[in-house]
Amino acid sequence: MRQRRNSGQILLIAAFIMASLLVSAQIYIVDTGKITSESSSGALMDFILGLELGSRHVVVGSLANITNGGPTNVLAINLQRWSSVLSRQYFFGKNTLSYALRETSPYTSGIRIDWGTNGIGISSAYSNFTCELSDRETEVDRAYFENITTTVTVESHYLILSGDAKQVNVTVNLLNEDKPALANQIIIYFRRANSWQIPNADNNYEITDYGNGTYTASFIANIPSPTIEVSGRVIDQRQILVQANVTSAQI
Amino acid sequence: MFDQRGQIRIIEAFLSIAVVFSAVLVSANLPSSPNLSRQHSLASIGAQALVELDAGGTLANLIVQQDWAGIKQALDVILPLGVSFNLTVFNEEMQQVNSQLIQNSNVLGREAVSVQHVLASQTLSVKFFVLRLQLGWAG
Repeated sequence: MRQRRNSGQILLIAAFIMASLLVSAQIYIVDTGKITSESSSGALMDFILGLELGSRHVVVGSLANITNGGPTNVLAINLQRWSSVLSRQYFFGKNTLSYALRETSPYTSGIRIDWGTNGIGISSAYSNFTCELSDRETEVDRAYFENITTTVTVESHYLILSGDAKQVNVTVNLLNEDKPALANQIIIYFRRANSWQIPNADNNYEITDYGNGTYTASFIANIPSPTIEVSGRVIDQRQILVQANVTSAQI
Repeated sequence: MFDQRGQIRIIEAFLSIAVVFSAVLVSANLPSSPNLSRQHSLASIGAQALVELDAGGTLANLIVQQDWAGIKQALDVILPLGVSFNLTVFNEEMQQVNSQLIQNSNVLGREAVSVQHVLASQTLSVKFFVLRLQLGWAG
């Protein structure tokens, strides 16, 4: 009887050892699986972030192209290429990026070019996106939009100095998505005898950059007409061109 | 009777030792857990670095200008110390674009992770690139 109790000890020890081996193996498997799953979801989020950034860049580049004289279908062509490149570069499963260019007024094929004579000029591109990502574990449907808008406002006043000589002051404000933005280039034009002219050093032309998207320019020109038309042509730092005309008001 | 009982105990003791010893041997031979969380954090650091450089359009501009040294400098600044990297730039046809190596030290022979990023340039003529960034902890 006493002997049987003693030989049972070995079974207990063996059972404990086997149990601890099984538990540690299970913990190892669970931990490894957890890290792999976290890694996969992180990679998915990084991919989505890159995808949205790229979509934005495509819309910006296309708008820059169109405002600088490119065809209006550039936006659709570039987005189609972007979608195609993405579908080939997602290794976790299936990826589909679809886009819908805004067609509601004042947009046509996702583009709005409104360079007015009221002192406000707008260059804008708008597209909705739907991204569908799926792999063995996850399925993500993400909808987002990109609205890229460069707006310029031009205000002008003039002062008669003597005879036809007039001092013209122009204030230009530039906005990117309704936030003040800096310009890469600003060209001011004035109209004299039915031709647009660019003031230069002979006109005492000066321009001041306030560093907050506001620019003031002034020049002196002989303009016989009491009506002075002024135009501001601005290229922002994204290479998007926008223009606005305004009639200068006498001070 | 006393002698027999002693022998059984000795056999039991040997068997116990054998079981414990074999358990130790088996557990020692289990494949060591790869440091996946460390690799995951490295991949995350790499992906975030590429996204950050891409955000303002800097990365695409440097690629368009073929300023490979500029890209290396930017990665040197943005990645933490002790991280080795090697970046390869492909165009949309998956042809390698960078004519020079973009790396701070060789990642060969190190436990490395690879991060892929697709980007579009903000230029008048939009271009697409695929970046493959290999990262490893130096030392």
